[in-house]
Order: sequence, then C-alpha cells, then structure tokens
Amino acid sequence: MEFKYKILKGIDISGLNFLSPVVRLATGEEPAKQLREIGRFIVVPIIAFLAFLWLWSVVAPKHKTKAGEVPTPAVVWDATGGIWRFHEYETQKDQAYQLTGGTRLDTLGKAKARMAELDALEARAKEQLAAAEASSKEKFDARVAPSKKAYDDAREASKDARRTRTEALKAEAAQLAGATPEQRETFLNHLRDADAAAEAEKKSLDGLKAAYADAQTVTFPETKDARRTVTVLAEERQFLVKYLDMLGDNSREAKVADAKAKAEEARSAFLNAGPDEDLYKLGSTVLKRQELLATTAASQYAKPWTLPKQIVRSLLCVFSGFLLASFIAIPIGILCGLSPTFMAATTPFVALFKPVSPLVWLPIIMIIVGGFMPDPENHWLIVLLGKVPFLGNYKIDPMFLSSAITVALCSLWATLVNTALGVGSVDKDHMNVARVLRLGFWSRLFKIVIPTALPLIFAGLRISLGVGWMVLVAAEILSTSEGIGKFVNDMYTNGSSQSFAQMFVVVFIVGFIGMALDRIMVVFQRLVSFETAGSTL
Amino acid sequence: MRQVEIFNLAKFYPNPYGEPFKAVVDFNLNIEQGEFVGLIGHSGCGKSTVLTMLAGLNEISDGGVIVGNREIEGAAPDRAVVFQSPCLMPWMSAFGNVMLGVKNVYPHATKAERKQIAEYALSSVGLADSMDKYPREMSGGMQQRVGIARAIALKPKLLLLDEPFGRLDSLTRMELQDVMLEILDREKITTVLVSHDVDEVVFLCDRVVMMTNGPAATIGEILSIDFPRPRERTAMMEDPLYFRCLDHLVSFLTERAHLRTEPRIHDSNSLLSFTGRKIETPEDLAHAAA
Repeated sequence: MEFKYKILKGIDISGLNFLSPVVRLATGEEPAKQLREIGRFIVVPIIAFLAFLWLWSVVAPKHKTKAGEVPTPAVVWDATGGIWRFHEYETQKDQAYQLTGGTRLDTLGKAKARMAELDALEARAKEQLAAAEASSKEKFDARVAPSKKAYDDAREASKDARRTRTEALKAEAAQLAGATPEQRETFLNHLRDADAAAEAEKKSLDGLKAAYADAQTVTFPETKDARRTVTVLAEERQFLVKYLDMLGDNSREAKVADAKAKAEEARSAFLNAGPDEDLYKLGSTVLKRQELLATTAASQYAKPWTLPKQIVRSLLCVFSGFLLASFIAIPIGILCGLSPTFMAATTPFVALFKPVSPLVWLPIIMIIVGGFMPDPENHWLIVLLGKVPFLGNYKIDPMFLSSAITVALCSLWATLVNTALGVGSVDKDHMNVARVLRLGFWSRLFKIVIPTALPLIFAGLRISLGVGWMVLVAAEILSTSEGIGKFVNDMYTNGSSQSFAQMFVVVFIVGFIGMALDRIMVVFQRLVSFETAGSTL
Repeated sequence: MRQVEIFNLAKFYPNPYGEPFKAVVDFNLNIEQGEFVGLIGHSGCGKSTVLTMLAGLNEISDGGVIVGNREIEGAAPDRAVVFQSPCLMPWMSAFGNVMLGVKNVYPHATKAERKQIAEYALSSVGLADSMDKYPREMSGGMQQRVGIARAIALKPKLLLLDEPFGRLDSLTRMELQDVMLEILDREKITTVLVSHDVDEVVFLCDRVVMMTNGPAATIGEILSIDFPRPRERTAMMEDPLYFRCLDHLVSFLTERAHLRTEPRIHDSNSLLSFTGRKIETPEDLAHAAA
C-alpha cells in the first residue's frame, strides 16, 4: 500500500495524472470510478487520435503536389523506418571502419553470408514484383478499358460530326453568291450553331477524359508492397557493398597496414641507399610516409548527418541557447523584482524586443558573430568548444552559436518577466520576519526572495524552453546550420515524395521532443513548489 | 528594573483631504524587566499598531520607545515578534527556520553553539522530535510553536506576541499558552501580548492594558492581575478573583471603552463588575465605582 501511494505521488509530481486511475484500478480501488476516468482520460484521447489518423489518410491522397501525393500516415510510418535504417547502416559502417583483427574478420564473414542470402531474397522479391505487376496490369487494363473506349469512341464521333458539319456549311456557303442579305444572316446563324455544337462536344469529351485519367490513378497495394520490398533489399545491398568494403580492403586496419608497409619500405630504401642516390629526396619521402601513417591511424569514417544525429545537435543548440537565456534573464529578473527603478529602466527593452521574430534576429546575429570570427576554424572559442568531449562531435561552428544566441534572445523574455513577478510577490509577512531578524541583503535574497520566486522562475523557464525549441527549427532552416532545421531544408530542396513524407516524420519528432521537454520542466516546477498546486497541463 | 519605556507614542496616517488621521495618541507605559503585559481592546482600536511600532515594523509618528536604555529605531532581533500566522519559510525545516535569525544574533558563536541554541529553543516548545519537519508536514499548532522557538532563540529584550494563538482551536491554544507560560517563567523575558481573548490575558499576564476605542485610541485602564507565579490553570479557574478580573475586562470593553478619561489603575481591590447598564459619562463611571 505504501508503494502504491509512492507511485501515485510520483505520477502527480510528473504531471502524468491520466495514469493514476490505472494504478488505482490495478489495486482495486473503486473500479467503476477508475474505469470512468480511464474512459475519459485515456480511451477518449486515443479514439480522437485514431479519428485524426483516419481523416488524414482519407484527405491526404486527394491533393496532388509537385512532390507527389500528400503522404498518408502509412507512408509517413514507412518513411520513419527508412530514416531509421539509414541511421543504422551509417552507424554500422562507422563501427566497421574501426574494427580490427578477429572481430573484423568475423564481421566480414557474417556480412558476406548475408550478401549471399540477399541474392536469393532479391531474386524472389523481383519475381514477386513482376507477378504483382502483371496481375495488376490486367486489373488496371480491365479497370481503364471501358473509360478509355468511351473516350476514344466519343473523340472519333466528335471528329466525324465536325467534318460532316464543316462540309455541309461549305456547301451552303458555295450557294450564297446570289443570296439576299436575309439568307446570308441565316447562314451566319448556322455557323454559330455549328460552333456551339463543337463546344458542347468538347465539354463532354473533357468529362470523359477526366474519367479516363481518374481510372488510371488507381494503385495496387500488392504491387506497392512488392516494390517496397525490392527497394528495401536494394538499399541493403547498396549498404552491404559499402560495408564489405569498410570491413575489407578499405578498413582502417587494412589502410594502416598498407601505410605502415609503405613507410617501412621508404625507411629501408633511405637507410640502404647507395652514395649516388638523392638522400634528401628519400629522407623527405620517409617523413611524408610516416605522417600519412599517423593520419590514417587516426582517421574516422566520414559519417553523414543522420536524423538522430541532427536531433542531438538541435537539442545541444536549444540547451545552449536556453542556458544563455537563463544566465541573462534570471539575474536581470531578480534585479527588476527588487528595484522598481531598475524595472522602470528595463520595461521599454522588454516591451520593444519581446515581439521581434527570430527571423529578424538571426541574420543580424549571424553578421555580428561572423564579425567576431573572421577565421572561424581557428577562432579560440570554436577550437575550445570543439575540444569539449561530447560537444566536439557535433560540428560547433558560428552558425551553431548564432542559432543558440537567437534562441536565447527570443526565449529569455518569459523567464525575465516571470522572475521579476516572482521576486516582486514576496510575502509581506516573510519580509517582516526578515526585518525583525535584520537579515542582510544576501541572506534575504537567497533565503527568502529566491525560494519564494522559484516556482514562478521555473514557470518562466518552462515557457522559455518551449519558445526556444520552436524558434530553433526556424533558425536552423534559415542559417543552414546542421540540425533538424537543416534536415527539413534538405528534404524540401530534395523534393521527392519520399522526402516529403520524411518532413512529416520531423513534425512528429519535433512535437514529441517539445512535449518531453515541457514535461521535464513541469516536474522541476513541481519539485520547487512548496504547496504543490493542481495539475498545470 | 525598568526594561521598556513608552512615552507619548502616537501614530498618524496622512490624509490628503484634511488633518492627518490619528490612530493612536498619548500612549504612555513603563514595563518592568520580566513583566508580562497584555494589550486588549476592540478590534481596530490600534493595539496591533502599537505592537508593530514597538517591533519597528511600523513607523512611529510621535513620542518614542526605550528598550533597555536605548531608543528603538527600526526592526531588530532584540524585539522578537511572534506573528498571528506562523510566517515560517515553507522551504526550510523547523530547525532551518529557527537558525535563520540565530546566525545574525550570535555572530561570534561557533556553528555547534548556534546549533545548540536552535535545538534548545525547539525542545523548549516541545518540538525536540520534529526539528527536521517542514512546515507543510506540521499542524497549525506545531507551526506556531516553531514561530515561538524562532523568537525566543534570539534571546530578545522584549518579546512581542501579536495574537499568536488567535488562529488555533481552543485545545491547541490552551496547550500553547501553557508552553508560553513555562518558557517565560524560566527565561524571564519581558513580553507584550496583543489579544482580544479576555481569558487569555487574565491567565497569562501580570498587567492588562485596556485600550479605548479608536480613532485616537489610547490607554483607558490598566489592571494588575494579582495571581502569584508559577500559575496553574485549574487552580486559577477555581479562584473567584479570576472571574472578577474577567468581569472587569468585559465590563470595560462593553461599557467604558468609548469613554475618554485619564487612565485609571486597578488591582484586585478596585475591580469593577459588569453592571448591565451602559456607562455613558465619566460621572456614571464614578458612580459605578462607588
């Protein structure tokens, strides 16, 4: 029972209140009530989400774009798999490059075995695809034939009718030489009638043509599945070819061995050279070969940016910006809360700069940061950040700094305003206690003012992090800095239907991460609140 | 030995449309070392104003206060206050709340000594086992005990109690009154208690200062409660003098609080009793006294 209440308390603090009826039901507490709650807070949201997915899958294919149909949930799910496979393959290649000795040979053997399996699999998949295509071709023809025939017949008929009409009118015109003006007027009316008839025929033809085109748009799931299997296998083959290369001749071990042999060779050539040979040239060759050996031994596989890596970089960027914002906003907010004069001095800046869009800040920041770093590669800050263990792998460049500063500039206002509010709302009784105890400035600040303001400071930080995360993707797209934004921009420029679906994947990933960040901040906010208030969702 | 001298104490509030509003005027009172003085009056009569002026939390408009040979200026820990609500910092344990002031008052004490002072204060209010509890884990009575411990840990020259038991239920109130009496009998701290509970002031105080109604409130009567110390509740309640004291206070509050006369001093020999007839003029009062 103790345990149950611990769980319930944990759920309450983390703000995942929808889980508490499940726990209560599991312990048999008022089952009818808990079932009602579960129905309302778990089943209803799930139904709503399913309804959304259904609506999406119905509506999406109706709109055709340059990049193909708007992807349905199934296509997006498929694209998620594609993104993940790409990431897996690249990680495996990266690891393969660094393998040595027995492990490398073992892995090589396994990869070769898989390659052999793949031949059979691919052949079967291609057969299935051919069969599926043949059967679907039949179905397609059967489906399209009636409308095609109707359209073709109508077109022929309309051609014939027009020819007949034209001939009749020409014959009539030939007899008009001695006709009266009235008769000529009648001929004009005949001409008009003929035009109207042609127009009506054209309209009905257009209708038939549209029906024909519509019949052609049908897709056959079995062909689609078979084609997907073939594509996935082809992707794997492509990977395996490269993978085998990385494990075999192109592995670091092989390259190092090769470079070592060459270095040894040059060395012995230099040591055993006769008096008539160019010792200067041979000596410098030795040095060059040795240098090459060192670089080879330290070399890494040039792993491309996969989405998971982009996500980590985006998170690093948003947290850098968020930390910067907190370091600026909290002290200024505290000063604002403590001193009405300081508050008066700060208000115009807050009011003026708070509404400015990140899209305005970013180019300005980029130019300013660029001004500090005419040679970014060798700038001390970039070099320093590049040496930080984890951070160093994520290409910290001026664009990263600009994005982080933009995030900070856009997100610091919420923290600043909330901190000022929190500090300003210190309980008068607590201040009286401080006066009676004659607490000094710092004691008052750290023992009374900041603890009082903490829940509001964290409320501000929560808003800041949310704003920062939203701003970041826009900043990355604009600055072409690596990260989720870069991924979206690449997919946009790429323009294939597959990359269109991958942009949808990004929507869900960004949304999910934003939600997780928010939840984390809620937990912090609750941990620093002394009278834990009701759920803030 | 005289510990506190209050002379011509007054509080004016500025009034933009006329004469300043006079809340309290001509408040004169001397308090002996170790004496327990109660301050009683109708609500809004200014008794809390007097107390906050003594604490230094409210600016003094006229007159002054001398505590231990020194005129007071602003708030300081030598005049500790126990507020009506416990006013504990919710982010600190009971011990932390008591330690908050100890550091400033004993700047030269070692860490261990300070800890000992806070622990002693907490155990003397009966919280030896609850020092690490946070305010949210304590009942209102326990929280107020911490408030009292925080005040007495400062070893104040003057302890100011601003209706400290007003928000407690009657059983808890009685417990805390006993705790308070016990501490004050032992520590001999000069104390001023603001209250509107006549039982409480009679039980606790050596002298009760009755304030006239505001505006321009001042001292109406002063009654000495001639019970020996240490006091014991049941014995006191059985004594007819206890009820005569209550009667005097109630009759003041209902019949004489609105009169403007020179402050009168009463003791057990000159107690007035409730007449049931409104006393409207000083002559009526002389008549009743006779």
